[in-house]
Amino acid sequence: MTTSDQLSPGSREWLLAFADDEHMIGSRHAAWIGLGPFLEEDLAFCSIAQDELGHAIRLYEFITDEVDRFALLREPAEYRSAWLTELPCDHWDQALTRHWLYDQAEQLRWGALSRSSDDGLQALVARAEREEAFHRQHAELFLSRIAAGGEEGRARIRSALEFLLPYAVAIWEPVAGESEALSDGLITTGSDSLAQQWEDSIKTSLEGWDLSTSWPQPISGQDNRHARTPEFPALLASLQEVITIDSAAIW
Amino acid sequence: MKQWSDLDDFQSFIDTGGMVEPVDDMPDEYRNEVFRFIEFHANSELMGGLTERDWIPRAPGLRLKQIFLAKTQDEIGHAHLLYMVAADMGVKNRTEMLEDLYDGRSRFHNVFHYQAVTWADQIAIAYLVDAAALASQRSVFANCTYGPYKRVLKRIVAEEGFHMRHGEEMLLRLAEGTDIQRQMFQEALNRWWLPSVQLFGPDSPENDPLLRWKIKTERNEDLRHAYVQQYVPLLQGYGFEIPDPDLRQVDGQWLIGDIDWEPLKATMRNGGPDSRRRIETAANNWADTAWVRESLAAAVDRTQREAAA
Repeated sequence: MTTSDQLSPGSREWLLAFADDEHMIGSRHAAWIGLGPFLEEDLAFCSIAQDELGHAIRLYEFITDEVDRFALLREPAEYRSAWLTELPCDHWDQALTRHWLYDQAEQLRWGALSRSSDDGLQALVARAEREEAFHRQHAELFLSRIAAGGEEGRARIRSALEFLLPYAVAIWEPVAGESEALSDGLITTGSDSLAQQWEDSIKTSLEGWDLSTSWPQPISGQDNRHARTPEFPALLASLQEVITIDSAAIW
Repeated sequence: MKQWSDLDDFQSFIDTGGMVEPVDDMPDEYRNEVFRFIEFHANSELMGGLTERDWIPRAPGLRLKQIFLAKTQDEIGHAHLLYMVAADMGVKNRTEMLEDLYDGRSRFHNVFHYQAVTWADQIAIAYLVDAAALASQRSVFANCTYGPYKRVLKRIVAEEGFHMRHGEEMLLRLAEGTDIQRQMFQEALNRWWLPSVQLFGPDSPENDPLLRWKIKTERNEDLRHAYVQQYVPLLQGYGFEIPDPDLRQVDGQWLIGDIDWEPLKATMRNGGPDSRRRIETAANNWADTAWVRESLAAAVDRTQREAAA
């Protein structure tokens, strides 16, 4: 398995961005536990949150030996999460739409890692891709039914798309050192190509649901993922609330 | 379909080990009592999940967050199964049960009317409350005469057994941890001990129909007594103090002080310390997500219409 001291700065940055995205999206999804729109969905969405957190753990393990402290105790500027994953999305139309946009992108990112020269990463990719197939199926099926279910749901999804798409497009803003990650063989496809595949797939589905929308520019200000959203400090404070009570404690 | 000529005939069927199934022509008294009991259990699993959810975002580690999510998911899964069993009894459907809960018209366990104030409360719930709930559920499972409930309880009891072991492991980390951790747990114990022993309910009335019909198999006070015998020495062994000035040992048995049941009665009328917030959170969310359920129902209608055309 690759260890942190063997990773080039570019490869480390790529894995860190992916790990932080999985951590933040898993944490945001987790906030829906007990509050899903119906019990079956509560159970399904909670499983997805657990899977994403599991991916975050495995990805962090390529970067650090102390996953929890690393995951929870950095300064905001040291995180590399995409803004899409930091947003609260505390209404179901946004939570569902983000889940769909994010998981479509996540699939492509695992695909970019799948021919990595690293055995440990390949095993992780194989497992994550199996899980992600269910996540994508869940999101697609759910959205397709909402799209077929009348004007109120369709209007809500349109509005969620209008808000979220600029953030989602910005997930493909390349991390600093992406070319190094490519030349290292960590990934085999760059963000430009992944972004195009993602855009094609998103547009095809939206067309099928008669929900096509004008394609936005990425939200500006993400600064290669060095900048955080206004919502991030509250999220981080909540993640850190218990672990910072006592630095000597094992929880 | 089984039928009985009268309540005496039904009682002798129950007394000789009979099992009632949903298709049977069970007496209304039995149907209503068993339904009310299962609905209460389902509501409690759901509201228990909502009690635990507050601290999940703040879990001090990613694996811990996964574990607590999985545990809370189990509780909501239990609610899901129990609502289906209850709905099959034909008294109320699932939506009616949920809306009665959110409108404050039905009840749930006393312990889930309190707020988890710190992370240690989360552990106290996993250790103390889950153990009390498990003891209570095991006693129902032992001889339960309503078939679907007994079959669902088999799974619930198995999963709650895992939760209890998880609670023990989490407690050990605090008990063997730093002074701050031990102090946190002692304070949580001070908050959760009495609600936990109250979970079993006031002493069972004479001629309790749930005992007569073998839904419950042990009296509330007997279950509480057994719980106290097990948990007083365990908690004391970890160096914690039981918050009961009248706790004493007589002939080798631990006896707790008299319980004032008045606060419990108010709590059970949804007047507990956190009842209003808990119910409002769930009710507001139910209202906010109504459009999702309506959209999905409309999509199904449309599919069926198109298939028929």
